[in-house]
Order: sequence, then C-alpha cells, then structure tokens
Amino acid sequence: MSVPSVTGVVPRAARDNVSFLGADRDYWRLMLRGALLLMFTLGIYRFWLVTDMRRFQWSNTEVGGDSLEYTGTAFEILIGFLIAIALLVPIYSGFFFAALDLGPLGRIAGVLSFVLLAFLGQFAVYRARRYRLTRTVYRGIRFRQTGSAWRYAVCAMFWWVMIIVTLGLAFPVAQARLERFKMNNTYYGDLAGEFHGEARTLFWRGAPLWLLVVGPMIAGIAYGALRIDWGAAIAAATQDGDDVFARIEGASPGFGAGVVIAILGCIWAILAAMAVYPAFQALVLRWWLAGLRFGPVTTVSRVRTGQIYGIYMRLLGYSVLFSISAGIAGSLATGIYALLAPIMPPLLGEILVTAGLLVSYVVAALAYSTIYQVIVKLGFWRVGANSLELSGTAALDRVKAVGHPSSSIGEGLANALGVGGW
Amino acid sequence: MRDGDGIFFDGTTSARQLVSIELADELVRIRDADGMVLTEWLYADIEQKPAPQDVLRLGLRGQRTSARLEIRDPVLAAALDGRAQTVDRTGASDRRARLRISAWVVLATLSLVGIAVFVVPAVAGRLAPYVPASIERKLGDAANVQVRATLDTKKLGDRFTCGREAAEKSGRDALNALVARLSRSADLPTPIDVSVVRSNVPNAFALPGGHIYVFQGLLDKAESPDELAGVIAHEMGHVAHRDSMRSMLQGAGLSLLFGMLLGDFVGGGAVIVAGKTLIESTYSRAVESAADAYGVRLVAATGGDPQALGTILTRIDDKKYTGMHIWVDHPQAEDRARTIRNLALKSAGVTLLDADQWTALKHICAGS
Repeated sequence: MSVPSVTGVVPRAARDNVSFLGADRDYWRLMLRGALLLMFTLGIYRFWLVTDMRRFQWSNTEVGGDSLEYTGTAFEILIGFLIAIALLVPIYSGFFFAALDLGPLGRIAGVLSFVLLAFLGQFAVYRARRYRLTRTVYRGIRFRQTGSAWRYAVCAMFWWVMIIVTLGLAFPVAQARLERFKMNNTYYGDLAGEFHGEARTLFWRGAPLWLLVVGPMIAGIAYGALRIDWGAAIAAATQDGDDVFARIEGASPGFGAGVVIAILGCIWAILAAMAVYPAFQALVLRWWLAGLRFGPVTTVSRVRTGQIYGIYMRLLGYSVLFSISAGIAGSLATGIYALLAPIMPPLLGEILVTAGLLVSYVVAALAYSTIYQVIVKLGFWRVGANSLELSGTAALDRVKAVGHPSSSIGEGLANALGVGGW
Repeated sequence: MRDGDGIFFDGTTSARQLVSIELADELVRIRDADGMVLTEWLYADIEQKPAPQDVLRLGLRGQRTSARLEIRDPVLAAALDGRAQTVDRTGASDRRARLRISAWVVLATLSLVGIAVFVVPAVAGRLAPYVPASIERKLGDAANVQVRATLDTKKLGDRFTCGREAAEKSGRDALNALVARLSRSADLPTPIDVSVVRSNVPNAFALPGGHIYVFQGLLDKAESPDELAGVIAHEMGHVAHRDSMRSMLQGAGLSLLFGMLLGDFVGGGAVIVAGKTLIESTYSRAVESAADAYGVRLVAATGGDPQALGTILTRIDDKKYTGMHIWVDHPQAEDRARTIRNLALKSAGVTLLDADQWTALKHICAGS
C-alpha cells in the first residue's frame, strides 16, 4: 500500500472517522499465548501481557487516518509495581499490628484499613490513567493529565458512598462529576480536554431501567413490611424457646407471606438487572463518548443497544462451547485416571489428583477470562471506536507538544491493589 | 536520490507532513514536499514503534519528543529493514526477544517458588528467636482473645476455663503440680500458662507467649498422668521451639510472596491457597514431629513414662485416615507413635501425680 504522493489533502470522510482495524484472530493468538504464560509464571507475565494488549488496541485504533501508539513498556510497569509493593508492605504491617491491639484501635483497624485501601485504590486509578495517557502518542504528540490524585480519590470516595446510599440514583451525577474531573485535566499536547455529558441526560435515559430493576424490589419489600405486625413479631422473636418462625407467624399472621414477597422482589431485581445490563452499558457508553471534547473537536457516538446485546450473546456462545469441550476433556481424564488408579502408588495418585484439579481449575478460569477479554473488552473498544464521528478535526493538525512521560508508580499501585479503571 | 514516500510527524506539532525518504549509507534523509531536508536519522538510532500491520512506524531512541516516520510502501520498508539493524518487520527478532523474556520470567517464577519452599521457612526459623518476648506476649494475648471467642461456643465466658470454682480447686492444684514438674525440667523462653477448657474435642494446642490449652475431651481420654504430661510436654515443645512465632512469620512471608508477587491472575486464587497450604502443612508435619521428640525427652527427664504420649495419640486417633495425606498438617498418629517408640526412651518409674491428685485432675471440670 503506498501513500498518495504529492497532494497533502486527506479525504474528509477519513478525517472525521474513527475506526478499529484489529483482527480478532490476532488478538486471540496474543491472549491465548498470554494465558498460557500467565499459568506457567503464576501471574508474573501479566506485565508483558497487559503491554501487548494495549499495543494491539492502541495501534489498531485509527483516528482521522492515523493510528494511536502505546509507548509504555512491561519493565516500566514491573518497576512501578515493585515500588508500590515497597510502599504497601509497611502499611499492611501497620494494620496487622493495629489489629492485634486489644483497645479501641484494634476494633476499628479493620474498617480503617478498608477505607484507606479503597482510598488508595482510587488514587491509583487516577495515577494509572496519567501513566496510560502519557504513554499514548498520536501524530508524534503525547496526551497528558494534570490534577491532584488525592483530590480525585476524595471525590471518588464521596460519590461512591452517594451511589450506594441512593441505590444507584446518584450514579449519573457521580459519573458526570468524576468524568469532568478527569477530562478537564486531560490534554492532547496543548489541546485541552473537556467533558460535556450532562448528568440530567443520563438520569432520564437510565431512569426507566432503574425503575424496572429497583421499583418492584422496593415495592415488594415495602408491601412485605406493611403486612407484618412489627410489634407483635418482635415481641414473639425475643421470647425464649425453639421454632422462632412458627411463633412469629402465630403472633403476626402474614409474616411468612410478607417475607416471601420481599424475597421475590429481590430475585426480580437480580434477574432484571442481568437482562437490562447491556442496554444500560450501551446508553452509558453512548453518553460518555458523546460528552468527550478536545478543544473544538467534538464527538457523536452511534452505538446501538443491539450491538452490545450482540457482544453478550457471543460471550454466552463461546462460554457454552468451551464448557462443553472442557466437560468432555474432564470426563476423559477422569476415565483414564480411574483405569490407572489401581496400579499407581497412592502418593503418586494423590499428587496427580491434586495437580489435575488445580490445573483444570486454573485452565477453566483463564479460558473464561480470555473469552471475556476478547469478546467483551475488545468488543466494547471496537464498537465504541467504530461508532464515533468527529467534527472540528482541523484543530488536530495544529497541536503543539507539551509534557513528558509520567512515572509508572500509579500503574504499579493499581496493579498491586487490583484496581483497573480507565 | 529519492527512494520513496512516507508520513512524518516532527514531535513538536501534530502536523502530518508527506515527505520523501532517501536511504543514504549511514542515515535516512527526510525531505518535505519542496525538497528541503527536514531531518536526518542515523540507522543506529532508529527504533521500531508499535503500529498497525501494514505500517512501519519509526522513532528515535532515547528522545523525549516523539518524532515519528511512517512508511506504508512495502518496498521501501523492506529496503530500510535491510539497512537498520533495529528494524525487523518480520517480527522474528521480536519473537526471539519475547521468547527470551518468557524464559527469564519462568525462571524467576521457579526461583520465587524455591524461595517460598526453602528460604521463607528457614528465615522465619532464624528470626523467631529474636522477636522480643513483649511482642510475642502481645500477639499471644490477641490470639488468646480470638481463640476463646471461637472455641467458647456456649458463651460460658470466664467459666470456659476449668478449675476456677471451689469444687475444682483440687484439680487445678494437681494440674499446677504437674506443670511445675515439667517446667522445672524444661528450659522455656517464657513462663507458660496451661488451662483446661470445656470443649469435647480431644485436642490441645499452644499459642504464642506460652498459652497452652488442653481440651476437656482430651483429658477425658487420658488414662494416666504420664499421658497428659506427654501431651503438655509436646505443647511445651512448641513453646520452646517458638513454633507459633515461626509459623506466623512464615505465613506473613508466604502471603507477601504468593499474594502480591505471584498469583495475581484469574484463577490464581486457587494456586495461592493450594501452594500456601501445601507448604505450610509439609512444614507443620516436621514441626509436630520435632515437638513430639521434645515432649518425649522432657517426660523422660522428669522420670515419667515417655512412651505414654504415643499411647494416647493412637487412642485418640484410632481411625485410619483415608483422605489425601499431602494436605494434612499433622503426621498420622500411628507414624507418630512409631517414631516415639523408636526413640526408645524408658520410664524411670517416677510417679508424676499420686492417685488422689490424678482423680482430682480428672475432675477439674466437675463444676460444670
């Protein structure tokens, strides 16, 4: 393929287009090799695998005819991870000794460590994002991120508490605020990022889904609670003797029915959440992509809900296919073992069974995770990229380089704490 | 001489420049559309960058700005590939490097596993004696609170320990006499505190800081003071060897190794648990045998019957274990009894407790 020589004009269609060029087959090969090496290195290979995955995703994403480039290396993340471990070990040891304290310190040590680790996790999410952005080069120029990770962590903690307290109703506001925080601190060279997604828009689009999931649950619990004569039920529950439930039912007729209705409400919530989750993800993705801005460059996303359901259908298909073949392989192995068991020394048998169970568990877990990564994660990336339409892209030709690569400690900390995030 | 076309980004602005590329002897010369030389790159400094499949993307090594030259013409790319050593479009050198890295990472993993199996227990054993007694006491007190809370299922509180009521006082005195006798012959780093507790499980164990628990269930199965002495002496062996401190340090080391460096992948959780359990139970079987040997020698030193420990062990555990032995943290009772017999220590015929004391001790939990 050769480049059109003299003329410097790129056709308009290509300029405003974002597309993902990567072939599934190449990604499968990369991921399967990675899974194998993860198994043999007990996970240490993850630094190399995640670098390969990002290189693939970035390189194959073309914006206005030029592809992104991921310049991070596995060694950088490994070093960042080791530094993060060196920082975390004293913290973990501190909590260990605090937990031994017999006084009030020992009692709150558990809660305290949970809060601190959640906080550090959000800190790491923000710093890791900075690492990835400064390792993203487009047309010879890096992205970068400013802003205090401590402030971000405080905001993120606050909004997560709000989301839980409001049963998810605060999600749109939280999402809009946090995304604004991130994007207002994001730059492509000297071109400032912004986020224009409105919480209100996301709220009204998501409200029907929320009502469908949470509405019947609240109704069920409320109805159940109203049918119960609480005074009588509590009096019956606090009496001595066996068979508490029969006693409560006697004191407050309808107690059993009330509990059943409340439980049915909760079951409905779980099933409905599973059914509408792809639709929810589609509308959040559409809203998020359409809210992104870089200076005069604006975006529109045309992600269809059906595409996201399609991704999950494929996930289901691949998982079933793998489960069937794993089942067949497992029965064969069991059959062979049963034939050989009588002639084997018992210790060898023990070791074989242990190793066999462990290996099959790890293989299965890695296989499902690989399927998920290829079908869902890459699928979202592909659908999201291909759905984008840009305007105002003329500004992308005049960006000046600013900033340097950041340290990789944030990425390492995110890895050590097991938080991902983008 | 013009060898072909490419796209050039100078690293300071995002302008996309169509350039002509000349492959000279030592360097690549890059000219703009007007034929002006933009820059010259030495082949030796050129680095290949990640790019889509049909694009050869080049940058300069060790630069903070990220100037890029992109070549889509396969003929030109091949010519450049031939001249610059660091460029390899076939990916063969990349594959070699990857293979080398994979081999190193596998070796590093093996060495970390070796550290977990051999170095961590050895270091824990060396460090344990240096842990100050005050810290060990503190650990022991914390563990004590937790253990009592777990074992005391009937919520007896203080009454969980036998020997506190008036009716049990003579039993408590007998226990104290037996423990004092053993302590005189033992050389323990901390004072110990032996209690019998109201639980029907036939078991006994030692916590850090010298707390030893004998369960009522075990006392009921003991048929002579020497048997009970054997069990207590075994637990004193754990205290003398600082085994709980050792296993605690070892657990911390293994958690660090397995939990943080290794095993961080999907399905890794099972590997962590299995690896840790296997190493700890293998190690623990050795520790139990050492404590048996200590206990037998201690009872022999007091003049009691050193073989009694083997007798009570086989009595408590008379069933043959049919599960997987590599997961169990104690050796088989019959193996333990055989090892004790092989030590071939004889009783000096000393009576550790007289008949009245023994009867009182057997009824130390009578108040319940």
